[in-house]
Parts: sequence; structure tokens; C-alpha cells
Amino acid sequence: MRKSILNFIIAFVAFCTGLQAQSLSGSVTDSEDGEPLVGVNIVVQGQNQGAVSDFDGNFSISNFESGSTLVFSYVGYKTLTLKISSTDEISDGISVSMVKDLSELDEVIVIGYGSQKLSDISGAVSTVNAEAIEASSAVRVEDALQGQASGINIISSGSPGSKPTVLIRGITSYAGNDPLVIIDGISATIDDLNSLNPNDVKSVNVLKDAALASIYGVKGGSGVIVITTKSGERNSETKFTLSTSIGSQEVVKTIDVLNASEYAAILNEASVNAGEGIVFPNISDFGVGTNWQDEVLVDAPIVNHSITASGGSENTSYYVSAGYTGQDGVVAGGEKSFFNRTNFTTNINTDLSEKTKLLINTNYSNIKGKSLAENGITSVLSNALNFDPTVSPFENGSFGISETITQEIVNPLAQIDNTYNENKVDKIQGKIELQHRLMENLNITSRFGYTYVNIYDKGFIPFQFYGTGHNQTNANPDLTPIVAIDSEGNITSTHNRVFEGNTNFFNYTYELYGNYDFSIKENHNFQTVAGFSIGEGKGSNISATNEDVPFNSWDYADVSAATGNATQQTSGSWQYVNRNLSYFGRVLYDYNQKYYASFTGRVDGSTSFGKNNKFGFFPSASLGWVVSKEDFFDEMPVLNYLKFRASYGTLGNDNINPQFSLISTFPSYVFNGTITPGSSLGSIPNDDVSWENQVQMNVGVDTRIFNDKVSLSLDYFKKTVDDLLFSPNLSLYLGVPSYPTTNIGSTQSTGLDATISLNTSLGDLSISSDVNFTTAENEVISINNGDKYIWGAGYGIPYRNIVRFEEGFSPGYFFGYVTDGIFQTQDEVNNHATQNGAVPGDIRFVDVNADGIVDDNDRTQIGDPFPDFTIGWNLNLDYKSFDLSVFTYASVGNDIYRAYERNLNYTNRFASTLARWTGAGTSFDEPRVTFVDSNNNSRASDRYIEDGSYLRIKNVQLGYSFPDSLVDVWGFDEVRAYVQIKNALTLTDYSGYDPEISVGGVLNTGIDYGTYPQPRIWSMGVNIKF
Amino acid sequence: MKNFKKILLLILVTSVFNRCTDHVDYEAIEGYQITSEIYFQQESDYDAALVGTYDVLQWLFFNIQLGAIASEITLCGGESATDYIGIQQIDDMTHYPENNVLRQIWQFLYEGVNRANYMEENKANIDFEGKEAMYGEVYFLRAYYYFELVKFFGDVPLFTEARLTAGQAGTLTRTPKEEVYAQIELDLQNAIASLPNSQSQVGRVNKYTAYSLLGKVLLYQDKFTEAASALDNVIGVYSLVSDYGSQFLRFGENGPESVFEIQYSNQSNWYDWGCTHCSEGNYAIIMNGPRGWSGPEYAQGWSFNVPTEEFYNSFEEGDSRRDATVLDIEAFAAATGASYTEGYDHTGYFNNKYIPRAGESGGQTELNYLTNFRIIRYSDVLLMAAEAYNRGGIDDGIAQEFLNQVRRRAFGGDDNDISASGSALTNAIWEERKFELSLEGHRFFDLVRTGQASSLIPGFVEGKHEVFPIPQQEVDISGLTQNAGY
Repeated sequence: MRKSILNFIIAFVAFCTGLQAQSLSGSVTDSEDGEPLVGVNIVVQGQNQGAVSDFDGNFSISNFESGSTLVFSYVGYKTLTLKISSTDEISDGISVSMVKDLSELDEVIVIGYGSQKLSDISGAVSTVNAEAIEASSAVRVEDALQGQASGINIISSGSPGSKPTVLIRGITSYAGNDPLVIIDGISATIDDLNSLNPNDVKSVNVLKDAALASIYGVKGGSGVIVITTKSGERNSETKFTLSTSIGSQEVVKTIDVLNASEYAAILNEASVNAGEGIVFPNISDFGVGTNWQDEVLVDAPIVNHSITASGGSENTSYYVSAGYTGQDGVVAGGEKSFFNRTNFTTNINTDLSEKTKLLINTNYSNIKGKSLAENGITSVLSNALNFDPTVSPFENGSFGISETITQEIVNPLAQIDNTYNENKVDKIQGKIELQHRLMENLNITSRFGYTYVNIYDKGFIPFQFYGTGHNQTNANPDLTPIVAIDSEGNITSTHNRVFEGNTNFFNYTYELYGNYDFSIKENHNFQTVAGFSIGEGKGSNISATNEDVPFNSWDYADVSAATGNATQQTSGSWQYVNRNLSYFGRVLYDYNQKYYASFTGRVDGSTSFGKNNKFGFFPSASLGWVVSKEDFFDEMPVLNYLKFRASYGTLGNDNINPQFSLISTFPSYVFNGTITPGSSLGSIPNDDVSWENQVQMNVGVDTRIFNDKVSLSLDYFKKTVDDLLFSPNLSLYLGVPSYPTTNIGSTQSTGLDATISLNTSLGDLSISSDVNFTTAENEVISINNGDKYIWGAGYGIPYRNIVRFEEGFSPGYFFGYVTDGIFQTQDEVNNHATQNGAVPGDIRFVDVNADGIVDDNDRTQIGDPFPDFTIGWNLNLDYKSFDLSVFTYASVGNDIYRAYERNLNYTNRFASTLARWTGAGTSFDEPRVTFVDSNNNSRASDRYIEDGSYLRIKNVQLGYSFPDSLVDVWGFDEVRAYVQIKNALTLTDYSGYDPEISVGGVLNTGIDYGTYPQPRIWSMGVNIKF
Repeated sequence: MKNFKKILLLILVTSVFNRCTDHVDYEAIEGYQITSEIYFQQESDYDAALVGTYDVLQWLFFNIQLGAIASEITLCGGESATDYIGIQQIDDMTHYPENNVLRQIWQFLYEGVNRANYMEENKANIDFEGKEAMYGEVYFLRAYYYFELVKFFGDVPLFTEARLTAGQAGTLTRTPKEEVYAQIELDLQNAIASLPNSQSQVGRVNKYTAYSLLGKVLLYQDKFTEAASALDNVIGVYSLVSDYGSQFLRFGENGPESVFEIQYSNQSNWYDWGCTHCSEGNYAIIMNGPRGWSGPEYAQGWSFNVPTEEFYNSFEEGDSRRDATVLDIEAFAAATGASYTEGYDHTGYFNNKYIPRAGESGGQTELNYLTNFRIIRYSDVLLMAAEAYNRGGIDDGIAQEFLNQVRRRAFGGDDNDISASGSALTNAIWEERKFELSLEGHRFFDLVRTGQASSLIPGFVEGKHEVFPIPQQEVDISGLTQNAGY
């Protein structure tokens, strides 16, 4: 920066003293290999003057005026403009390095143990570049992928820093669908992405089909996300970038529930309908009462700062960055709910000798967070939706309480106040890699990658009071313990309680492989790789709890400070270890970049697999044909490029644990009034258990038309998973030991991924736009577990199952009763199949199996939480100094199950209750209200299913790049300021907060437990390079 | 230099490959886990496995609850008609094979059977002193689990040699209950032969516990003579406590009247709602408490298993058992200023034998009540013996004497003695069981056993509701036949 200011002063002086005409000389080289570039066209902007570089890349311009701008252009390279103001430069000469212009299809992308030009790939891959990731301003990298790449479906949550559901090409497995993540060659998981600063990411490639993913074998079954982080450039000055943004998050939509007087009127009616007296004699006293949602939802800040430095000398390049992200929760704000992340990244690449390179990448991150109860009937939002609106937030200096709600549901403000926890994560992830050029075209890579994580958790359950007799109350109103004395005079008391836990993970992978590239007879090109990988993952945890925290205070909440005696203290621990060993190889072949073929295979061994199935082999192959390179192709004028691709291969999924016939020492019984430890058989092994085996077929086509302005990529895939892993439902008379996981099911997914891109310009306006289309249809082909289905998530009190993974259906579909309006008269009740407890005004449930009785056997498919298709649309416009990017995302056909209603007599109700049945003909869809719901109107049924389709403008960003003249004055290279709105607008029919619902797992997707809404974020930021 | 590097590389590769052969093997010891291959090698392993076999007793809280709820003397209750549908349906006699409570009862009882069988399977491994007596406890427990199975489900799969393996899923069929009863009797006879007269630890079963259960099992088969002779062994061994109600309080547990109790403790500080039966506490207790309770002596609960007004009113004047058995919550609240909220099917009465009492739990309060289940009390032995003597036509005089011992304690004198004989005496004994043993898990099964169920239980269908349905999963997966009518 100092030098830039100096430049500026010199230029300024030069300007004041009048423009001086001198001779300027220099040289032009390739930025990558430093080779001189011959024949570069150099023009002085606005003048009829120029030069062409000679055989050594040198050029010279006479009568050069200081302050003029040079334009360097060369075929295959990016055009470079350079303003020359320094007298030093003019007298000493300048050296210019030009960067190759890799149009998208010539881009070289990392595909695992090597890289390949995008145009040479005959498998299915999606790529997302740094600009798109930066533009999204996401807290997590995966969130930035939503809609940016076809074939990958991301379902996010608004909870600060939370992990989204990531599905690559549909749902194939019950056991787990998280894709494998590879960060700079280091194997990681989606969970690990909490610690990566999106600003450090250079590119993300999604390996979708078997041909590409099978190099990762048994771990590649759910797809592979390959992340490359930024690195410095050789022979370049240190460049700094400073990015900062601040924003405010707000919840746009609240849910319509009854206000106080509506609530009172409805409860009176419900009580009368149950044959009891009215509850609230004076409805008019209540007014609108308390809107609990307004009480808990706040505008919360989000900030993002990062600074990076990169550059390099002849032998070394480096990239160093520091970042901070802070997101407060929109539910209750930052005091009790936040995600703060600090990152430090160092990537160094240095030549140890002419033939040997050393790469050291290190990423340290520190995450701190606090959280409130989410996604359940006891969550803050559930309390806000269900709590009594006639209660005031505060009464006489303490939190308002309800006399009538005595279970689960509490004043959400009191709940927030009583929630104390913290979570601290320290993580170091990195690699040490040696690359050695053994001979021409033969490179050996030896890489040690590691991840170390330490997680510390603490929680405190204080004395809390939600009303006498409330089941969440553990103290008297003055927060003293409730003391009880039994008939013999023994005193017992309630206690507050503190929990602490410490968890460590350490994973390493050592890999050794060689890349050998060669050509035979000029046109037969081969890229080969072979190697092996050995790794280990370990985890351990130790935790402790104690009671009686001094002063009932978070400040003293620590196991060491708590004064509980030996019987009040508990401790626990767990640990695991897994190891794997793999051999892999790949041959990429092309003939004259016209015909392509590839063969890939990996042998994986794992401690997880059964004794009789220690190693598995995962081969794949692909073919490609660039039709447009054929001679006969010239006749087609519109079509500039056409390529067909096809691949076939196998992958795996290894979500299993080692199995043994284990003795459990958990059982115990009471003798002499003392708990006596015992034992029983805890689990039964299956020595034949193996990985899930997936066969995937992919066919695709890539084209470019209208002078390469429009490109289209289309892929169709079919995945079949055999040997799906399940714990079978064996006969109940075997008792309760864990039954062994067994390979007893299969699923199939088919789908289409498509990307259309447009790149063009109209005068000064340059337009780039792409549309990504993703669809997948999933079906469970078989489950031989006995029942042919497995329950997924459920909800509520009493607990109701709602999600099934069942043979013949889409995985994770909603299962329940079908409603058929409301019984208007007793005759209608009598004429219907026997439905116990039904009276006029109750819901008529369909007797699906037509056996004359409405019972559990009448439940059926009532919805599917997964979209039929999703579309992401990116539009980027550049006009002079302005840039605008708009990203729109749509999800169509996903159903939502509304599960946040507690349905106690005195809990609040959904506003649709106002349109309830009150007599024949009054309502055909909303049942009567009653304190005695003998018909069980609240059973799991399609009454709670809503269409969750939505279209959302996810991101609008308007940027302005300050003109060079001004930037130079400030001493910077580039300054861009922007304003941004995330989640600007959502169009949906869904009545809840947010139609995008993720709680992290496939089999609980789409259930709205009072989901943490994704806030609208208004933010502004500055990016400075200097 | 170049060669040196290559050699180094070669050494590295070779060493790694050498290590690799066992890199992906894994032994349970790495996770500090004990496998069955190294178990049952020392006496303490057998001690622990026996404790594990007792453990399942604590899981059987629904067995006791349903003994009352399925009968006419209590209602399901709870928060609403749909609070606990599985139990509500049983209360209404509208239950069907898909019922998670029945499924749990079935599976838990078979876990008990399998744990006993696992000990049987490993019996011959080693010898140690007292092994036979230890196996007396094992056989008693297996008999208890099978007896519960037969009571609930009728014919059930019978296996005694070993714990079942995964491969045996779906291979068994239902054994006629006569054969199951024969096995229960055999197990109890073996237990009687090897069990000591008394145990050093409270909570363990002894010879008289086995005699008492044998008597009960025989009575359920109408084998009156054999039942009488089995129960004769127990007469005089235990005694009735003078204050009927005291034995249902914390400090009346395991008293002189107690023949067999399922032991619970509030010391496990259990917090995990995901496994309510994993606690050492009694999970039935919280269910029976008054809702939103604020007052002395009791603690708040979920208002299940509420006695009916008819039942409360059917106690005779002067019967001390009424107030010990049933809590009149309105009267209690009026007297003490306590408050509560009404649950579904509120009757004004609560189960005073198994009710949350203040200060008797720990950890997550709902999960850790220390209250034991009184499974066999001496008064039950007396009434069973009376019934055997009467219905077996052996001696109505002795039957009267046994019956009146129980009544004298209840009424505090002999003014209410029964002098009937024959079938009138039979009815008097049955009626006495209702008052003496109510809410302790007997009522429904007594009504079925004595043929009174269809006349007393609303909705009870003769030929169907005598037994509960086999869980649907067991029909679907294991191919078991369903009980008639379901």
C-alpha cells in the first residue's frame, strides 16, 4: 500500500509538471510458466501508437506519455490494460505477465487425484466458481451451492450456522445421504464445512456420476463435493483483499394464530361443546392480548470480515487469510442464540528443489455458539405459537404465567431467559503434501491430510418457574428449590443442574499416488493415476453433570463449582475408531480430443465391514464423443459445439459400525434398596455385512450455440442401490438386543440435471445468466426387513409417526389418514364406516381399505416432502462500473407437514379455527372445537399437509466498482461497494414461516416443527484490493 | 541423491503395505467392549446376568396398569381422549393388533425369557458354590415372564434351551397354553427344589415366593387341589400388617406381608425420555398422579388410571381399605387447600396405592419414582388359598378362615366376617379380591379367569377379549396366528 501511495505521489507530481514523452520498453510473459509471449499486440489507449512483442517477448514504445494506458491483447489470453504513471517504470522498463483466458469449457478442474480440462470430461460434473460463492455471502459453503449447480439439492435452515440437507442426485440410502467432501485433497464431511470460510474457496466441483466419483469408491455413493481453496501466484507482488459486510436479518412472515379475545371465545365454545361451563365470562376484556411471535422475533445483525494476502516469489507462493463471521439468531437475538466463527488459513506452496514441491495448507477455526430449543414442541417458536395470548409477557416484575397450561408449553420469554448453554469448537484441518517429478510426465504425490477437532459444551438448567404444578417448573415462584418432606420426615428437594462435555476427533489420511501422462503417436493421449490411501478416524468424549449450582447462576455454572454430593454427580464417556485402506487407479484416454474414454476403479477396505467382506471393488467407465470435431459437422452453422457423454459404474455407502456379540453392562436391578449392576446380551453381529452397492448410469450432452454464446448441458441418470443397510425388524420374541445391520433393501433414483448458460454483451452491457434444473425421482424398490417399511420422524405429544421409508414408495413420504370433510349430521356419521367417537362437526376420515372401520390400517400416502424439481436462475449484469446479480430459486412439488400445534385444551390455535364447524353447513373443512376430542381430529392426517412449493429471490446484489482514477488516489487497486438483499421475496401458498424446511436429515425433511425461518437479510459491504 | 530418495520411498511404501494387512481388522476391545465369547467365565458374570434377568421386571409397569384399566374399576384418563391411544382403546375394549403398549409388553416379556434362557445356555460353562440356588431364581423369573405372557396372550411361542439368535426370527409357532403352563409349573418346581427359604438380599425371590406363584399359576388353571397344597406351604410364613394402608407407603415396602415385590429406586437420577424403562424408577407412578398439582403429600402427574365413582362407592362401610386405595381428590383438596387441574374422564378419584408422592423421585422426576410394585402379598396368598379350598371342594371352613383373616384386618375386627359357603363363599372371595387387591394388576385377569368379565366390563366381547391380540408385527413378520376375534 505504501508503494501505491508513492506511485500516486509520483504520478501526481508528473501530472503537475506536465506530461512527459519518453520511450517505454518492457517484456511480456505467460503468468503460469514465465515463458516469453511472442507477437502480443500492445496499443496505447486512445492513440494511434503501439508495438508487437518480439521473439523474446520484448517490446518498446517511443514517445510514451506518462499516465497513458496500455492495452495488451493476445489470442488465448485475457486482455490486459495497464496504466503507466511511474517514472521508475518508464525508465526501468516494465514486465507484464498475461493470464490464459480459459473459457469455461477449457477450465481445468480438480477431479480427485488429478485434474482435467472440463471439456475433456466424459462423466457428470457441476462446477461453481469463487465469484458465485462470494456473491451469495453465505455463512456455510453448501448454502452457496443452492441452485448454482444442477443435480444438487440444498435445503437450508435459518438457524445460525446450521447444517443444511445436501442431496446429490436424489435419495438412495436410508443410512445416510451426506456427500463426501474433499477439501484440497483432504477427505472431510458436510459437518466439517461449518469451519470453512466461503471467501477462502476458489472453486467447488460436484462429482455426480460413477465415472468421476468411483475414484472415491465406497465413500462416493452420495456424490462428492470437491473444494479447492485459494492459493497465491508465483512471481507476483503481495496482493491484499479486504472484504467487509454488515447486515440486518429480519423475519418477514409470522403465523396467524388466535388473538386473546378470539382465543377466549373459541375456548368458551370448546368447553361448552364438551358439556362444561364457559371458561372466560368476559371475552371483551381481553383485546388482542400478547402476540408472542412479536415478542420473540427480533432483528438480528450479521457481519462478515475477512482479509487475505497472497503472492509469491519465483520459488514460493502463499495465501494467508483471516476471517470473522458473526450471525445472531432472529429468534430471541444474540444474547442466547448466535454463531461466531474466526478463521485463519495459510496455504504455502514452495519448491524444495527443481523437481520437488512442498505444499502446506493449514486452516484453523474457532467457533462459538449458543442456541435455543428448536424444531420440537418445546422449541421457542412452538411456545410462541401455542402459549396463551391472554397472558402478559411480564406481570409484577416477573414473567407472565398461565394457570391453565400445565404441560410443556411455557411463556417463551421465560424460556429464553432460562436457557443457558455454550458450545466452543476448535478445529485444525490441513495437509502436508510433497509433489515430486520423478521423470518427464511422471509426478508422485505424497499427502498427509488431517483434521483435529475439539468441542466443548456446557449447559445449565436453572431453577425455573412456569406456574405451580407446571411440568416444566422445578422451583417455587421465588426460584427457591421445592422441598418435600415425606411421612417419615425425610427431606427431598429439587435441584438445578449443570452439564459439561468435551469431545475430540482426530482423522488422518495418508495418500501416495503417481500421475503419468503420455501420448502415443501424437493423437492418443493418456492421463493415468494409481495409488493407495490409508486412514484412521478416532473420536472420544467425556462428560459430567452435577447439581446444586451456587446462586442458581450461569456465572457459577460449572461442574467444579456445583455442590451436589457423589450420588448427584454423573459422568460418561464414549469412543470409537475406524480405519480404512484403499487402492485406486484411473486411465483417461482421448483420441485427438475427439473420442474419450475413461476407466476408474477403487478397492476399499474398512474396519466397519463384516469379517467376511473386508474389501470391496468399485469400478467405472465412461465414453465421450465430440461430434463437432468431426469433418461432417461443418455443415451446421448454429451449433458450434456438440459432445455426447456416457458413463456406468459402481459406488458404495459405508454407514455401518463394526458388529459383535456384545455384553451390555447397562442392566441393573435393586437389591437391598441399592442399585446393583448386571448384564445382558446387547447386540447380535452379522459377519457378512458389507457396504451398500450402487450402480449408476449417466448419459449427457454438452452443446454450444450462437457463436458459443449459449451453452447447454443435459444429463440423465439412473442409480440403483442394492444391499441397502437396515436393522431388520426381526421377531419381537427375540427381545430387545440391537439387531445387526443387514444388507436387505434396494432403491432406485432417476433424474435429469440441466444447465443452460448465456454469455453475451450489448454494447457496454455484458450479460451472463444460467439456469440450473434438477429433478430426481426416488423409489424404494425393496426392504426385506419383515415389515417392508421403516418409520422415520414423527412429532407431537402424544407422539405421532408421520414419515415412512417403505417398499414401493418414495423414500421419506408422509403417511397418515385421509380426510374427507366434516360430518354435517348424525346421519352422515351413521352412514360412514365405523369411526369411533365421531359426532357431527368432526372430521370424516376415509375408510381407505373399505373394511367398514376407520382404523390404523386406513393410513396411506398423504404427501412427499421432496420437490418434483428445483430451478436456480442466476442473472449477472455488468454495465460500466455497475454490476447486478440476481439469484432466484424455485422448488416445486414439495409437501410440508404442519406439526407445531400442541393441541392442549388451553394452548393457542391456528387462526383457521375461526372458520370452524358450528352446525350443519357451517364448515366443510374445519372441525368443531371441543375440549373432549373423542374423534381424535388431531391424528396424523392430510389436514396438516400443505403445498410447500415456492419461488424465492434468494439474492439480489448491486455493486459499484469505483473508477481507477479515484481508486488510485486512495492507493488501492480495486474498490467495490455493494448492497445486498438475501431472501428478498418468497412466493408461496404455505402458511408457515418458511417453506424451506431442514432439520438436517432425510427422514425428517419437510416437517414443520415451527421451523427456524430463513431471515431476510439486508446488508452492505466493501471489497478492497490493494 | 536421486537414488536415496527412491530408496526412501520404497521403504515407506513397503512399511505401509506391511502394516496394512491388519489395518482394517477391528476387535471389540478397541472400543472397550465385552463380547459374549469371553463372558460366563467367572461366577461374577453369572451374578451380573442374573441381575440382568431381574431387570426386566422393572419394565413391566404397563402390565400392572392394564390390570386395572382394562377392568371396570378404573378409566384410562390422561390429558385427553387421545393422550395415550393404546391404553384408551384397551379401557374402551376397542383395542386391535396394532397397539404399541401391547407390543411393548410382549417384547419386554420375551426379553425376560431370553435373558433367563441365556443363563440356561451358559449353565454348564463353569461350576461354583450356590449355582443351583442361583438357577432357582432364574427359573422363577422365567416362569413369571411366561405366566404374564399366557395371561395376556394365551398361546405363545415357548423356548427354554437358549437365547434365540437372529436366524431364528420367524421360525417359531405358538405353543398351546397348556404346554406353556406345564413349563411354568416345571420351572417353579425346579425353583422350589433349589431356592433357599430366605435370601440375604431384599428383593430376591425365595422358596415361598415360588410356592406362592405356583399356587397362583395352578389357580389360573382351576387346579384347586394342587393350588391349595402349594399355597399351604406359605401359610404362616408371612403375616398381615395391621394397618392396611401402611404397606403401600415407602416405608411399608418389603414388609412382613410382602411375598414378591418388583423393586424400584429413585437413586438412578435418570433423565433420558428416550428410554423410560431404562430408569431404575417406576414409570407407572407419574401416570397416576393428579394434573397440575399444587399441595401437600402428593406430586403432580398425568391423571391416568383413575378409579371410578362406582368403585369408590362399592366399598363397605368401615372398610379401611377404601381410603388407602382411592384418593378422593376433591375432599383432599378441600381439606388442605391444594389445587389441581382436571384431566380427561375426571372422576374425582385417584389411585392412592401407586401415586406420585412428594419427594419420592429423583433426577428427571417423572422417570424415577421409587415405589415398588406389590406383586404378591400375603393377603393374596390367603385369598388364593381360600378360593382353592372352596372351589376345590376341599374345606369351606378353612376357606372362610383365610378370607376372614383378610377381612378382620380391613375392618379392624370380626364383625364383618363371612360365614357363607359353597358358591356364595366363592363369590365372597372374588368380591374380596376386588377390594383387597384392587389397582395392583389383578382385577382384569381375575374377571377373565372367573368368567365375570363380560358381565362387568363394558364392551367386553366373550370369546375375544379374554386375551389381548398378538402384536401385528409378530403376525406379519413371525407368521404367528392371531387370537380369535381380532
